[in-house]
Amino acid sequence: MKRLLALLLAAVMVLGLMAGCGQTPSGGETKPAESTPSNLEGKTDEEILDASQDILNGRELATTYQTYFSTSYASLNYFSTSYATVREIVSNCVDGLVEPDKYGIYAASLADSWDHNEDYTVWTFHIREGLKWIDHTGAETEYALTAQDFVDGIRYIGDPLNGAYSMRVVRNLISGLYDYYWGLDDIDCEIDTETNREDLVARFDEIVGVKALDEYTVEYRLDSSAPYFLSLIESSMLLLPIEYEYALALGDDFGVDNEHMLYCGAYYISEFNRDKNITLTKNPHYWDAEKVYLETVEYQMIADGTTSVEMFKRGELDYTSVESEEYLTLADSEWGSYLIPNEFSLSTNYLWLDFVGGNGEFRTFVQNENFRKALQTAVNRIVWAQLREPVDPARIVRNTINAEGAIFNSQGVDYTDLEPLAAIRNTDYSADPNAARAFMEAAIAELCDENGKIIGVEAGTVDYLPVISTEIDGALPVTLIYVGTDDESEIIMAQLFETMVEAAIGADYIDVVCAFDTSGSFYSTVGGSNDGPFNYDIYFDSLSTGYADPSGILTRIGTEEVENVGAYIVPEYDALIEKALNAETFDERLQYFAEAEAFLLEGAYMIPVMSSLRGYHMTYEVPYTAPYMLYGNVRYKGMQVLTEPLTLEEYQIQAAAWEIARAAALAAQE
Amino acid sequence: MKKYIAQRALRSLITVCLVFVAVFMLLRFMPLEGYFSDEMIKEADEATRMTYLRNLGLLDHPLKQLWRFVKNLFQGDLGRSLTVYPKVPISTLLAEKIPVTAAFGFVSMLLGIVFGLSLGLVMVRTKDRLGDHLGNGFILVIRAVPSILYLFVIQVYVSAAFDLPMLFYEDRPGSWILPTISLSLGSVAWYALWLRRFMVDELNQDYVKFAQVKGLSKSAVNRRHIFRNAIIPLVIYLPSDLLLIISGSLVIETLYSIPGTGGLLTTAIKNQDNNLVQVLVLMYAVASVVGVFLGDLLVAFVDPRIKLTQKEE
Amino acid sequence: MTEKPNMVLNPDKFRGAVFDQLASEDTGYSNYSYWRSTFRTFFKSKAVCLLVALVGAIILMSFLYPIFSDTDPTKISLMFLDWNQKPSAEHWFGTDQLGRDIWARAWYGARNSFLLGFCIALSDVGIGMIAGALWGYNRKLDPFMIELYNVMTNIPSTVYLVLLAYIMNTSYLTLFISMASRGWIVEARFFRNRILSIRDSEYNIASKCLGSSVWRIVTKNIIPQIISLIIMEAALCIPYSIGNEVFLGFVGVGMPVDAITLGNIVNLGRASFTQHPYQMLLPAAILCIITIAFYMIGNKFADASDPRNHV
Repeated sequence: MKRLLALLLAAVMVLGLMAGCGQTPSGGETKPAESTPSNLEGKTDEEILDASQDILNGRELATTYQTYFSTSYASLNYFSTSYATVREIVSNCVDGLVEPDKYGIYAASLADSWDHNEDYTVWTFHIREGLKWIDHTGAETEYALTAQDFVDGIRYIGDPLNGAYSMRVVRNLISGLYDYYWGLDDIDCEIDTETNREDLVARFDEIVGVKALDEYTVEYRLDSSAPYFLSLIESSMLLLPIEYEYALALGDDFGVDNEHMLYCGAYYISEFNRDKNITLTKNPHYWDAEKVYLETVEYQMIADGTTSVEMFKRGELDYTSVESEEYLTLADSEWGSYLIPNEFSLSTNYLWLDFVGGNGEFRTFVQNENFRKALQTAVNRIVWAQLREPVDPARIVRNTINAEGAIFNSQGVDYTDLEPLAAIRNTDYSADPNAARAFMEAAIAELCDENGKIIGVEAGTVDYLPVISTEIDGALPVTLIYVGTDDESEIIMAQLFETMVEAAIGADYIDVVCAFDTSGSFYSTVGGSNDGPFNYDIYFDSLSTGYADPSGILTRIGTEEVENVGAYIVPEYDALIEKALNAETFDERLQYFAEAEAFLLEGAYMIPVMSSLRGYHMTYEVPYTAPYMLYGNVRYKGMQVLTEPLTLEEYQIQAAAWEIARAAALAAQE
Repeated sequence: MKKYIAQRALRSLITVCLVFVAVFMLLRFMPLEGYFSDEMIKEADEATRMTYLRNLGLLDHPLKQLWRFVKNLFQGDLGRSLTVYPKVPISTLLAEKIPVTAAFGFVSMLLGIVFGLSLGLVMVRTKDRLGDHLGNGFILVIRAVPSILYLFVIQVYVSAAFDLPMLFYEDRPGSWILPTISLSLGSVAWYALWLRRFMVDELNQDYVKFAQVKGLSKSAVNRRHIFRNAIIPLVIYLPSDLLLIISGSLVIETLYSIPGTGGLLTTAIKNQDNNLVQVLVLMYAVASVVGVFLGDLLVAFVDPRIKLTQKEE
Repeated sequence: MTEKPNMVLNPDKFRGAVFDQLASEDTGYSNYSYWRSTFRTFFKSKAVCLLVALVGAIILMSFLYPIFSDTDPTKISLMFLDWNQKPSAEHWFGTDQLGRDIWARAWYGARNSFLLGFCIALSDVGIGMIAGALWGYNRKLDPFMIELYNVMTNIPSTVYLVLLAYIMNTSYLTLFISMASRGWIVEARFFRNRILSIRDSEYNIASKCLGSSVWRIVTKNIIPQIISLIIMEAALCIPYSIGNEVFLGFVGVGMPVDAITLGNIVNLGRASFTQHPYQMLLPAAILCIITIAFYMIGNKFADASDPRNHV
């Protein structure tokens, strides 16, 4: 009897716990989109600007900003880190040569002026005089900030031993850097046993095209024309300065924690507890100190996603992201009016197809354009996007590789509005529900015999270990192995992919098999083994437009290029890229790039589906007060933070006012 | 006695060495791709990756690597983390993380012992009555409900009810409460369960009947005879538990954002951070072997019936 | 003491018994049957009957439901409106984030988890018992086994599980190896200690002196002592392995992360727990009942199978 009692007790407690959590009503049904605020309709620009001022008038501004990060940061070495949080933190602490103002127009930072030659291959920057590096207590050190520090930045990343991250673009752009880097590497690999390492290091200044013309002037010589060079400075951590003498003395300890690095930005890292919190404190010696409103920025680590929303509600955070599931619950609560949609992402999610995979059925079919188009039309982008944006999924659908609103030609025309890319951008692939099956039938007619046997494919085992191993029969339906990570949201995306593709093409023609990599290092198991074939047929990935030029992505995905993981062969595309790189004018260059991108998408060699934008956020921050970083990381300089959360309505008014002011600023710049 | 200790120490040393070498060699069988970060796979070409591996010394012969590691170890150098915290000295890492984890572990272990044993005693005293049933219910809930669920509920709802922070902050004592309690729940249940079980077993022993017949009060029998005998099988685990609190709890440290060692080993293994794995395995193996050893000594100390000089078993 | 004539006992009331050879043989016999007594003691408690009925019902349901129901637990809806539905007549426990029926998923999950749990229990306890018996009976094996035990329990299982996942195909064999790789030696040590103490106990020595055969000692003296432990360990193994399955998926051996098991459902559902708590209700309840019931049944059975409790 006592056991029974205990059991009942346990059951009651469990139910009690469950019931305790059940108070919040859950919104299973869609809410109508409330995108355009009625109060802005029909208002003049002046009225909007006034309304925006009214919101801020008399409002108290906070001096502390509390935010969070979710994965632990390993090291603060800004040249070698691959962690987005570290890059975000450090870019507030180490300034670059230039930075955008709040309208995205490049303005002076450490360089107070700059110029370039006619074909944009030589850039000269005049450094602000009399600045000093500061340490983690905010005290000035004896190290002056000079042109030499920028040269040394390149010197530091030029040495393979320093393990600079994402070197490719900078290495290939700055003249001589490529040779210098690989020269050193050859010596380290003992391929080149003739040259003395010290000798080559000593010749850096004559090999590499970065020079300190005098104490406060630095010059970059580039291998190709780069009108976008300023945006590269905005986005890349590799062009930041370093106090070489200091870094050299520290060796491996450089950037290990806040005490082992120097600062020259708006903030310095005053507190650093690994895997716990980071505090940024305003740099008292900053050249632009009066524009820095926040005294401290406090980061804390919150590994568990659901915690941040709860903490925001309790006022312990000034910002939280809101995922789509949370959105539906919050929309019905008193927090509904504070949910602000995330605006924009330069990163595009797409599907990679493997053209040389170990799955004979898929490999045979993927060479066929009709099959690829069947896949392209089978993916219902709206349904997929609903996982991330339940209210207005259409706004995150993206058909192009490079983001819209990121690259403009000299007439101010958006790159994605250039034909033939514009046609693709505006295509609705799901318009005709029968299209996918029609494409598939066309492919089958070319590749199968009348019994549904795939010509040239034998039955056998597909070995995609350690991810999956499966049997194929060499006949319809075509087996397609979709490989994803074991992240919960990716599992759901994969399962949805399976259903929608099988529904659109027909389960009699295609059999999608989902497999998940649990090793935690997705690329090394799926696509990265040094010599072996890749372990996937299709996977879901993202690429990001890094700076104001399509070359950032497009040159990396040509035939045999580094990002072309699926190993498709596209000589026509390569030719267009070649033309673009050798184009006379920037506009011509963009036109050729647009044609190349359109070619790749037309042939469905890769299938972009949506931007990487996720859901919503809630914040205390006044929008558009910080520098408008299109390509780079969030800046706290200039950011104004309220003492109460911003409502969606206030946000929309601010955004509208910013658009008006920005148009004026851009016009003034002309 | 001395001979016994020397023998045991030697055997423990052999165990630790075997464990260490086995783990060391297993790590060398791991695929080379595992050493790269995702970004590196995407960005870097073959040559860059090889450069990276060579710089880390991963391309040397395993025995050479073993020798290098052991040599550095004896010079007091634990090496630097490879992939999880690139280039951060492991000694720095451990010095930062172990005190936090150990503090939580120690306090919650104390709580576990104090409340677990008290609960066990109460349950025995009220055997088959309300107190016993409530205690059993508690133990069952802790054992049966997936811990990830009730820990989460505690973090979100209990913190709201008592206005406590949802995360751990070193300088806010209130924020220490929930993680410590969460951490101790399991051991409270464990101690209560086994103490009750052992005491109930002892209740049927002849010496208890004799003591009762002799006219001793029930509480005196409980306290002086049963409890002392029932605690002996629990005492043996104390040193191990105490030493192994440095390994931390993954779930609780993640939930409350505690910068401790919980999950460090798993992360290190999955990222193939050889140096970190080696140091941690060595540390935990020593702790556990020494813990068992001390446990045996402690039992001999507490239980006069056991003589270490006698042949074991 | 002085002798005192007994006034109550009247010699007339007694008469001498006739010696009966048959009856004298008969006295040592009782119709005691170990198993019958065990089950009689076991089912005497109403709570146990209820628990057994409950577990039986859950097991029956989890194996019968997938056969007789035509609800597909993997059926995903492309309609947004079908996602995260609240409980209704059509979906008794609502739908999950892709519109799959939670009622169906819970039962499929329970079935898969049970299969997994039974396998682990069988391998751990089975291998552990055999190894433990050998270990207990063979003194020469002892130092080796102790060292093996020390080494094995000190190597973090993640190390070789990750390696195993890398080397081997994800098949039921891998699953089996990874599950059995650690548990058996812990069980073996447990059984070894028990067998040692029973082997050298007085009644066994007495039995041996009386000339009992090894077979008789094993079947009549040792097995009844051990069997309760075996059943208890096996019963405890099942809920433990169900709870542990998530870890195996996490390191990449065992059930795929998208397999429908109770562990996966509970683990993946945690993220949306604050939004849709009802999604967790049924799977968590089944998991709790299984754990509690097996734990209590195991304990009760251990009690019942102890011959001392049969009187």
